[in-house]
Amino acid sequence: MGPMHLISRRKFVALTATGVAVAPLTSMARTIGGGITAQEIVERIQKNIGIEGQSDTVAPFKAGDPKTIVRGIATTALPSLDVLGAAVKAGANMIVTCEPTFYSKADSPTPPVRRIPGMMAPNDAPSTPAPPDPVFTAKADFLKKHNLVVVRLADQWRQQKSDPFAQGLASVCGWSKFTAPADPSHLTIPETSLDALVSHVKKSLKCRGGMRIVGDPNLRIRKVAFLPGSTPIQAAIQTLPGVDVIIAGEVREWETVEYVRDTVALGGKKSLVLVGRIVSEDPGMQFCAQWLKKIVPEIASTWVPAGDPYWRPML
Amino acid sequence: MSVLTAGEVVARIKKNLGFPWRATTYRDTFKFGGPDTVVKGIATTMFCTYDAIRRASEQGCNMIIPHEDTYWNDRDDIEIVNRDPSYKLKTDFMRKHDIVVFRMHDHMHAQKPDFTYVGCARALGLESRYETAPQSHHFILPETTLGELAATFQKRIGDRAIRVVGDPKAKVKHVRLGVGYATPSINNPDIDVVVSGEQQESDGFLDSPAYVLDDTALGIPKGWIMLGHNVSEEQGMLEMAQWIKSFTPEVPVQLVRSGEPFWVPKSVSLDE
Repeated sequence: MGPMHLISRRKFVALTATGVAVAPLTSMARTIGGGITAQEIVERIQKNIGIEGQSDTVAPFKAGDPKTIVRGIATTALPSLDVLGAAVKAGANMIVTCEPTFYSKADSPTPPVRRIPGMMAPNDAPSTPAPPDPVFTAKADFLKKHNLVVVRLADQWRQQKSDPFAQGLASVCGWSKFTAPADPSHLTIPETSLDALVSHVKKSLKCRGGMRIVGDPNLRIRKVAFLPGSTPIQAAIQTLPGVDVIIAGEVREWETVEYVRDTVALGGKKSLVLVGRIVSEDPGMQFCAQWLKKIVPEIASTWVPAGDPYWRPML
Repeated sequence: MSVLTAGEVVARIKKNLGFPWRATTYRDTFKFGGPDTVVKGIATTMFCTYDAIRRASEQGCNMIIPHEDTYWNDRDDIEIVNRDPSYKLKTDFMRKHDIVVFRMHDHMHAQKPDFTYVGCARALGLESRYETAPQSHHFILPETTLGELAATFQKRIGDRAIRVVGDPKAKVKHVRLGVGYATPSINNPDIDVVVSGEQQESDGFLDSPAYVLDDTALGIPKGWIMLGHNVSEEQGMLEMAQWIKSFTPEVPVQLVRSGEPFWVPKSVSLDE
């Protein structure tokens, strides 16, 4: 067993230790006639976000029966098998996730047709079904075995006026008091160096190997912007002139990374900290669990961190 | 002494490719200057960064042949960037130093062999004796662990910001090389490790980080090694420079490295 297992087991222990509230709340739910279904929770989420009736570009239910009575909710940025295992241990049977369950935007429990760049045979029609895949199968089996309902909450959660992913990041960095009144993605923090900021962010977000930085480590930083998730060059062009550092999840390297590198080389006092897409979304889903406790008070909502998927060898 | 123009260099590139030029490409076009610019020297580079242009110019090269974009978006659509101060400073520099930029991307990947793969395999030490067939990009190595493999690649290619997903102790031997954003799917049962430049982390066609995390949970030996876009494709710009030199004997031709853009925090330990 590798370190990843050790980490998830440690995560696991921490979770079951902090998840003590689950048991009493679960029994409380039983006292309410019939309990609440996953469908009712989704409706309540949509109503409280205030975008009722609008179609999500991401259909909510990815696994399980919407009529399932929910005993507990686990939120996460990414429903990996380790995360699902921890959620089950915590007593949750509904998962609210930001990223897909089945490894693609399509989020289908069967694998997409294999694509090898430049190697596709001309007669290899894209409609040819892919052979069974042991990882897809194992995950579908796990969901079925534990009667889990998986709901994806990505676009609707992100598109709120006050970006909950930015609020989550500000909160875990201890910077909530430094956010702009109307925009949690813009902050003015006590002056520090880029190097010190990187250490602080790394520790706060529990980054492992996914962090990458562009800019002078000695650069003085006061103005910070968060670009959580995955963002295009337009977002960076709009944001960078007004700040000292952008802390982003994922960008295209030929776009934002090279834009910041050129700006620095041309004398701009600017920098970019990439933490990874999933790491940048983890705190926003912690914030989601806190929010769900308010709108679904009958049952427990617990955040299960997905963590940094990356490591790097030490030179 | 005859004068070599950028247009003549491009004509010789087209003539020497060995296949017809694809006129529909939006990538492989002039990005700054034009065919009439007189060429004093040629520099190939991976990303057409300001710093690479400046160093090329200082070394007497005013024709830049990059693999990637100049204006921070793939289509080099200047409408997206032309109100930004960095755009003005970069183009002012190019104008002042009589720079001409002609991108070689689509045709470089269509060449046989594709120099991006040749260069990356060379730099990683993936020798052709390990490749299942010429340019299959599938290497069968003596069995090692994912941790050893990643560390070896990092040392050989000098990659600070390499990122790896998977159990470092996973036993692996089948490596599939990708380059840039052309990252092969990780769920091929014949492949243990995918090595490439860059790929979106989630919500794409097949999300490899999530897939490998679950492989790891299930005890299936898989690994995903991201070298970074620049590091993975820059190596082949050496082969590109050598190839261009073979038909432009009048001027110096060299690789000017744009280099890895990132630094990383110190002491990244697996046990943190």
